[in-house]
This record gives sequence, structure tokens and C-alpha cells, in this order.
Amino acid sequence: MTTATARPIRAIPRSWIALGVLALALLALPLVLRSDSRLNIAILVLVYAALAQAWNILGGFAGQISLGNAAFFGIGAYTSTVLLSRWEVTPWLGMLAGALVAAIFAVIIGYPVFRLGGHYFAIATIALAEIVYTIFNDWEWVGGATGMLIPFARDIETGRPTNSLYYLQFNLGKAPYFYIALALVVLVTVVTVIVDRSKLGYYLRAIKNDQDAARALGVHVLRYKLIAIAISAAFSAVIGTFYAQYLLYIDPETTMRLELSVLIALVAILGGVGTVAGPLVGAAVLIPAAELTRQQLGGSGNAIDLILYGALIVLISIFQPNGLMGLVQRLRHRGGPRPTATPTEQQATAREEAPMLGGYEEERG
Amino acid sequence: MALLELDAITKRFGGLVANHEVTFQVDRGEIVGLIGPNGAGKTTLFNCISGFFPPTSGTVRFDGTDVTGWPAERLVHQGMVRTFQVVRTFPDLTVRENVMIGAFARTNSASTARKIADEMLEFTGLAPRADVLGANLPIAQKKRVELARALATGPQLLMLDEVMAGLTPAERVQAVELIRAIRARGITVLLVEHVMEVVMPISDRVIVLDSGRKIAEGPPQAIVENPEVIAAYLGEKYRPRREETGEG
Amino acid sequence: MDTTLLLQALTNGLLIGMVYALISVGLTLIFGLMEIVNFAHGEFLMLAMYAAFWASVLLNLDPMVSLPLTVGGLALLGLVTYRGIIAQILNAPMLAQIFATFGLGLFLRGLAQYLWSPNFRTIERPWLGQISGGTVNLGGVFLGVPQIAAAILAGVAFAALYLFISRTRIGLALQAVAEDKSTAELMGIDSHRMFALGWVLGGACVGVAGAVLASFYPITPTVGILFALIAYIVVALGGFGSVPGALVAGLLVGLVQEASPILFGVPTTYKYAVVFALYLVVVLIRPQGLFGRF
Repeated sequence: MTTATARPIRAIPRSWIALGVLALALLALPLVLRSDSRLNIAILVLVYAALAQAWNILGGFAGQISLGNAAFFGIGAYTSTVLLSRWEVTPWLGMLAGALVAAIFAVIIGYPVFRLGGHYFAIATIALAEIVYTIFNDWEWVGGATGMLIPFARDIETGRPTNSLYYLQFNLGKAPYFYIALALVVLVTVVTVIVDRSKLGYYLRAIKNDQDAARALGVHVLRYKLIAIAISAAFSAVIGTFYAQYLLYIDPETTMRLELSVLIALVAILGGVGTVAGPLVGAAVLIPAAELTRQQLGGSGNAIDLILYGALIVLISIFQPNGLMGLVQRLRHRGGPRPTATPTEQQATAREEAPMLGGYEEERG
Repeated sequence: MALLELDAITKRFGGLVANHEVTFQVDRGEIVGLIGPNGAGKTTLFNCISGFFPPTSGTVRFDGTDVTGWPAERLVHQGMVRTFQVVRTFPDLTVRENVMIGAFARTNSASTARKIADEMLEFTGLAPRADVLGANLPIAQKKRVELARALATGPQLLMLDEVMAGLTPAERVQAVELIRAIRARGITVLLVEHVMEVVMPISDRVIVLDSGRKIAEGPPQAIVENPEVIAAYLGEKYRPRREETGEG
Repeated sequence: MDTTLLLQALTNGLLIGMVYALISVGLTLIFGLMEIVNFAHGEFLMLAMYAAFWASVLLNLDPMVSLPLTVGGLALLGLVTYRGIIAQILNAPMLAQIFATFGLGLFLRGLAQYLWSPNFRTIERPWLGQISGGTVNLGGVFLGVPQIAAAILAGVAFAALYLFISRTRIGLALQAVAEDKSTAELMGIDSHRMFALGWVLGGACVGVAGAVLASFYPITPTVGILFALIAYIVVALGGFGSVPGALVAGLLVGLVQEASPILFGVPTTYKYAVVFALYLVVVLIRPQGLFGRF
């Protein structure tokens, strides 16, 4: 799942031009969208793009399917909010603290859980995230099930809610939130590109392909998985802080639920796991579609969005498991050999090998 | 001088003894063949040496260090590397990237790793296939990729688990040449093979396992004439026939 | 410590543990056969409970009477799921396997909410609730009749399943496929039919569990989530693919969940967190679970 498209930036100056145009278009977006509700969708797209990108480092590159990344997101949101509301610590510092707490937590839980492979790992991450959720839901010091409100930053003279960079709060329009979210997406993406091209990225892909073969070549599998989960957790937490400051309200239900973990993974899968562009494309397609569906079909409650959402997941899984980037690649390489190998092909070649070995055995006997 | 020394290696799985007090050594610059009929415990011994599971008792010394029970990834950095009987090419990585994974054992820089990889691809004759995905290679080339990426780790000792299996006679000749070229680079080679004919022409010394024990050791010529070895192999040869008549 | 209170908790734990075991055994059966986790298992259970509910409202049938219908319906759902979805992804990447059933779960949950609203439903005056006023008193330990019946029925279903797997030709074929698919195929066993059978049996078990739960547990579209989570824990704890493991782990989870508030003073709201924590501890010591093979 990691081929040419995994590194679109390396290619040729033309892609730099495309990137520049895209950057300008994104910077101008708040001016074009104008309405707060549309800008809200744009911000959500960026939030999920960043979360899916963070998930991708662990789930896409290393192939460790986490269904508990919401726990890291929630830990980030809670750490900065607690620091802010108890000790007036600026959310910018809170963001770093949250990233640190989430990374440490991730390494501590990763140590036992990484001994499990495949489906087992996915289930363990669900269980862990549920424990974290249950604890926060009952922990009165952090507001329990009702959650925590972040007080408005107010103008000292007029007493009205205002913008404050120190408090990472912008009450006079959503545009600043958009730019900060955009900066976060760029940050996570740059880190992903660096990971992708470095020893870490190569090792993670090797681990995803075949752990024993990786070990035989000197790869300390557990160490690199822990690095991947720490990076993934830290960025998820950073985005959690941003999200808390954006909503100015957090509770376990919105920041830590299984549904959020699933949506994060789904965005990456829809776009194409293990590619740098996949999570961004996935968020750009799925989040507006989900939001518009919800608005069109009359809010939550009747659950039509849930039905469509579920059906979409089933269809992608069956027909396009390599996501939209896989589709793009297939169109680009039409007629040529397929660019990515699925485990199916791997098994197919293993099956091809068997008769050859069998023939060899006969020859010997 | 001995590079690898096994002293009384025993491996038990529950009540089953897979290896019983196997002792031998491999000197620097040698090509040593480890042979034995099916179920002789060759692969188990291989896994014990290369750190895929610890021996029940006994010691493994490598390059003067006691490395008994060290995990595989640590042994690689010490200079011992292995390949797998059933090839384990990374299917989603290109040939070059496969070899780079090995090269990263020596360097943290991707560009250096790429340079090492390209050199190994040249050496193993895989250069024209550098950008093909692992999944899309025929078996003989997958075996070459296994070799190339093991060599890329910069080993002193290369342990090959049945590299010849599944190759055509012509491909085997090429493989033998390649193993000789590897030795010419100063790398010691330990070959596990099932078939005697393959091991004899290239090995300086041959060690024979049967039912988990070492039953013979010496130059190829002596091994071929060793009655115990002949018995072990003949026994195997006639076993299937006995079973057939037993059923019929 | 109050002994009666502890006895009460332990009995409650055993009773609900039997139901957990029954819910989990379908999951473990399917995993043992094809290494696929059914992430829609909780929604299967939810549909079984709704089936019992609607049979009581529309057809005026008590859940115990409509039980064969519920079981049949769920077995059919299992079959359709296998043919329509699972058979398509048997060789797909793990990611696709996980998300295919996950998506199905969301779809079914959404469908239930759309058709039947998110409101709680309970069955009016179920038979089991009326026998001896709904409870029996065993030396100061009060037991709900529906809960006792649920445990007994779960036990019967479990025993029937076990006998089927270990004593019948088809059951042995099923085991052979779980043990070694390619060898079983060489012996002339059609593994796809066995896979389908696994899904039918899994659906049927969840059908029994749903029907018995419907007599005493409130029904909502999201009721399956918690039960499914517990079932994953039970399966992982007992060892993926192990049928006896599901029984032992189901009972263990039930006991831990009910007894931990009394024995260790854990707040009752944390009782599920304790179960998840137990799972993590076991995984740390024995990653393959109590009865796991790998």
C-alpha cells in the first residue's frame, strides 16, 4: 500500500506548483466560505485529517489497527483543559503537556498490547479506550459525565468574549481556528513525510509486512512499534487540545467514544492507509459528506446517517480496501501490473510456491 | 579460529527432544554444510542459533561472545544473519526497499542504505529488478532478495536455510556460484540443506544431524562414505515405501 | 464482609456469566474457523432482543414461545452475513476484514434506531417474570426467575452446541476445518459450507441469548455494544477459538464483574472497567488466553 503516491512531494517541480496552488487555495478558503457553518465543516475536515494522519503512522505504516485512538485525543483535550481551568496554564503549554502524557500512556499500554497481533490488538485497543472512558466518565475531579466548560476569554474593559492567542480562543469568528487547524495538519503531514522517508518508515513497513523477517534483519520490532504509537498518540493529543479550545467544552462522550476511534480509522481507510495523501483525501471526502448528510436528513435521532455510514464502510471493505488512493493508482496504472500487493496476492504466491517445493520433494524421493 | 561455537545445544518442546547436545564449531572463512533427513532437527537448531527461540540448555558463542538466548535482532548487530526456508520477501516493498531494510542495520541514513542496497543488488544480479514489488517476483529471485538483504546487514556469518529448495538445476548452479562469491568477500557461510548433492561440492566441512543428534562431521568425501550417514538417508528413502505397503 | 451479600453477588455473576458464555461462543466459533472477528456480534444480539420484543407486541407471543423464531431468524442473518459479506473478504487485508463487520454493525444499529426509535423498550409481563412473583429466595439469596431461566437455557444451548461439535459428523468436520483448513479440504470437506455453518451456529447462539435477555433486560438499538465488548473480552480471555474457554471465561467475567464491588470495594460504575483490566492482566501473562492454542 506504499508506493509512488506515498511520496508525491519527491517527484518533480510540477508537484511543487500544484502544492503551492493548493496552499493558496486553502489559505483563501475562509474568505470564500464566509459562513460560520461552512467554515465549521472545513475545520472539522482538518481536525479529522490530522487525526487520521496520526492514526496512519501506527495503523497505516506499522499495520497495527488501533480502535482506541480516541483515548489519546481525549487525554490531550483533558490535560490542557485541566491545566487551564485549575492553574491558568496556557493551552499552548497544555498542548505539549497533553502530548507528553498521551505518549507516555501509549508506551505503557503498548508494551503489553503489542504482544498481540492482528484482530487481538484491535480488540485490546477497544478495551483500553473503554477503560479510559469509564474512568473519566466517573471521575468527578474532571467533571465526570457532565464534562468541563472552558470559560470565555473576555475583554477586560467590555467584559465581552473576545479573541485571545494566550488562551487559544477566538470568539469573534472561526477563521483563526481554521488557520491553526491547517497548521496542525501541515505539521502532522510533514512529520509523516519525514517518517515515510526515514529508517523509521522503512522499518514500520517491514514490520507490517512480516515481523519475523524484519527481526531476522535486525529490526527491534517492539521498539519501533512503541515509537510509532508514541508519535501517533502525541499528535492525537495535540489535536485533542485544539478541539477542546474550539468547542470550549469537553466531556467523555464527545472526546473518548469508540465511534470517534472508528471514524478516525475510517477516514484513513477511505483515503488509503499507509500513504501520506490518503488520510487528507479521506477527510476531505468523508467529513463534508457526513456533515451534509446529517444536515439534509434532519440531524441525529433518525440515524439515516448511521445507516449510510455503515453501508459505506461495508462497501469500501469489500470493493476498495486500498481506499481512494488505491483507486487513483489503479486508474493511473491501468493495463500495467497492479501497483500494490494485498495479502491475497501474498497468499496466492505462497500457494504457487507450494507445488514447486512439492515437485522438488518428489524429485528427491 | 572459531567464529561460531555450539556447546551441547539441547532443545525440547514439551516431551519432544528436537536437538540433543549438539556440539560443533564453524571457523572464519569456512563454508559449512548442515545436513540431515527430514525431521532431523536442522531448522530447530537453526532457530536456536539465530535467536528465534532460546535453547533449553547449552551455549552458543559467536565471535568470542556468549550469545545464548539473544534475540535475532540483537544477533544481527553482532554480525550473524539468517535467511528463511520459506522465503519471506516483504511483498509491499520493492526489491531495493527489501534490501534497504537489511542495510539499515548498519546505518541510520536512508541514502546510505540505498547505496548499500544498490551495491548488493549489483552483486546478486538483481539490479534490473530493483523497482519491482516483492510480491511480483518469481521464487528464484525472491531467494536472491533474501540473500541480498541478509548480506546488506554486513554479516560475518551468513546462515542459509535451504536456499536451494524449489530451484531448478540451472538456478542451483547460479546459487552455488553466488555462495562461493559471498565467501570470497570474507563472509563465513553455514548452509542448512536437505539434499546431500547440493551441499557436497561447495562445503569445506559437513555436519550431519539425525533425530536431533550430530551423527557425523568431516570433509564431504568422508561423509558420503560414512555408513551411519548412509543408513540415516537410506532409512528415509525406504520409509515412504514401507508406509505404502503397510496401507495396501 | 457480609456473606449473604457476597453469595448474592457470586450467584448473580454465575447467572449472567452463563449468558456471556453463550453470546461469546458464537464469536469464538467463527474466529476458530476463519480467523475473523464478527464486530457486528452485538448488533446480532440487539436484533434478537428486538425480534423477541416485536413477537410479544405484534403476535402476542412470549419470548419463550417465540424463541425458535428468534433463533431461526438469527441463524438466517448469520448465513446471509456470511454469503453476502464475509465470503467476499476471506482473503482481503485484515483491515478490510475488521471494518466490513464493523460497518455492518453500524448499519444494523442505525437501521434499528431509524425503524424503532432510540427509546428503551421492555416486554410487558413476560411469563418468566410472573413465576413465583419473579424471584426465588434461597437462604437469603434472592434470584430473579428470568435470570435463572436465562442461565439454564444458556447452559442447555451451550451443551447442545458442544455435543453437536464433538459428537456429530458435521461437527467433527467443522472442527477439522478449524484445525487445518487445507488438510480438511483434501479429505473432501467443503470449507465454505463449514464457514457458513459456523455463522449459522453463531447466529443461533446469539438468538437464544437475545430471547432470554429480552425477558428482563431493557432493549435499545445500542444494547449490543456493551455485551459485544464483554464477549470480545470473554473470547480473548478464554482463548480465541476455544469453546470450553468461552464457558470458563464467561463465568469468570460474570463473577469478577459482580463480586469486585463487594470484595474490593470497587464502585459499581467501574465494574466493567475491572473486567477490561482483568483482560489486560491476563493478556500480559498469557497472550493466547486461558485455553488458547497459539
